[in-house]
Amino acid sequence: MRPEPSVGIIGWGSYIPRWRLSLSEIARLWGFAPETPRGLNVVEKAVAGRDEDAVTMGWEAARNALLRAGIDPKEIGAVWFGTESKPYAVKPSATIIAEALGITPDTMATDLEFACRAGSEALRISIGAVASGLVKYALVIGSDTAQANPGDVLEFTASSAATALITGPAREAAAVFEASYTYVTDTPDFWRRAHQPYPLHGEGFTGEPAYFHHIINAVKGLLEQTGLRVSDFDYAVFHQPNGKFPLAVAKRLGFPKEKVLPGLVTPYIGNSYNSSALIGLSRVLDIAKPGQRILLAPFGSGAGSDAYSIVVTDKIIEKQDKAPKVDDYINRKYMIDYATYAKFRGIITRIR
Amino acid sequence: MRFSIPRYWRERHSHYRLYAKKCLKCGRINYPPSNICRYCGSNELEDYYLENEKAKVISWTIIYPAPEGFEEQRPRIIAMLETLETKTHIIAPLTDILPEEIKEGMIVEPVLRRIKEDREAGLIHYAIAYRPVIGSIGTKEQ
Repeated sequence: MRPEPSVGIIGWGSYIPRWRLSLSEIARLWGFAPETPRGLNVVEKAVAGRDEDAVTMGWEAARNALLRAGIDPKEIGAVWFGTESKPYAVKPSATIIAEALGITPDTMATDLEFACRAGSEALRISIGAVASGLVKYALVIGSDTAQANPGDVLEFTASSAATALITGPAREAAAVFEASYTYVTDTPDFWRRAHQPYPLHGEGFTGEPAYFHHIINAVKGLLEQTGLRVSDFDYAVFHQPNGKFPLAVAKRLGFPKEKVLPGLVTPYIGNSYNSSALIGLSRVLDIAKPGQRILLAPFGSGAGSDAYSIVVTDKIIEKQDKAPKVDDYINRKYMIDYATYAKFRGIITRIR
Repeated sequence: MRFSIPRYWRERHSHYRLYAKKCLKCGRINYPPSNICRYCGSNELEDYYLENEKAKVISWTIIYPAPEGFEEQRPRIIAMLETLETKTHIIAPLTDILPEEIKEGMIVEPVLRRIKEDREAGLIHYAIAYRPVIGSIGTKEQ
């Protein structure tokens, strides 16, 4: 069974916190070479405020998706929340968001974990759930206040943002899924053990055997399954741990830079983990035209990648202006220093 | 546990969605919710949520001596607001804003935020705060 063509995106929305930390401030504090940010092709990263977390950011992204969907929240039959920074180790984030948006109690709800691609796994599950008739609409959220060990190279890019997608019947959709494919293996590129505050990564593993191997094989799998060629796509959106990897993987797959740049958000806000690729898709949907075809390829450490072919319909036009766009949030920014960032993200230890 | 778990649970719809009552006789919004309309005395009211209404800032106060549990949010900014559609008055925290950016009459919108937490291991209390509508306060470079 190929469930994809009967399912599409009914609404989409993102959220980025107002606060930004310059990467050169991180380099200054920890004694990195001043050119390090340029090497990552990232200028600033978004930082969640003291009263924000993955739940509050996911809530706002979902509210924007609901505004674009124009549906009664009670019609949503599943709330699936992908994160690696859930506020509670045990107590679902999905139910807080579902309750706060008026979706409860007649719904499924759970949190998923697969490093940066839990939200994407939720998206594939939702395609099956909608196609089978198990639910009419599903709310899929990728949200993270990404953690990094202070002074670790990961700290340059670990940022905060959220993206939500509401999937439902293709006949109502702003964009329909044409096909999807997933490629996973056991790869030790990045992990966080229980009770540890920060993740670790396997030097030398994060690039070639993890990011590039999985994304390239997921995209190749999709192309083989569909018979589509690289030239059939108008946009290509990849997981974006920094500003360089997505351009490098695009080059190796044969996508020109101009098809990648519209969905490349990390240079402005950093890597928002579960929202990383999805916020790129969100930004492309903000400007896409009917008939255009989008390649979406999220990646998560551990490791795996999904590849989706998404075709935009004429219903997208009426939805684009119904909620704030990704660029509205990118442009809403206020620069903070490292001390404020440390306070906002709970890096300063206090007795409470 | 210092906070009342039953109370947080009981009031979750007020905290998350600004639960109110709309009078079916005079049409006014009773917030906080009441089973008898405080404007006309009718007992015919229906559930109403103020969660989607933008509001304008009428007045505000900046609280520097934050109560216990709010030290990390110092200074706290608490505003009196009037919602744009139903003209309901609400007292709520302002967020994503610096004290010098607040102006009388500025338009704000409700967002879900962490209001307080019960130390390291207890419950996190989520509730509505208000912040300037997206696009109304721009970059530092402005």
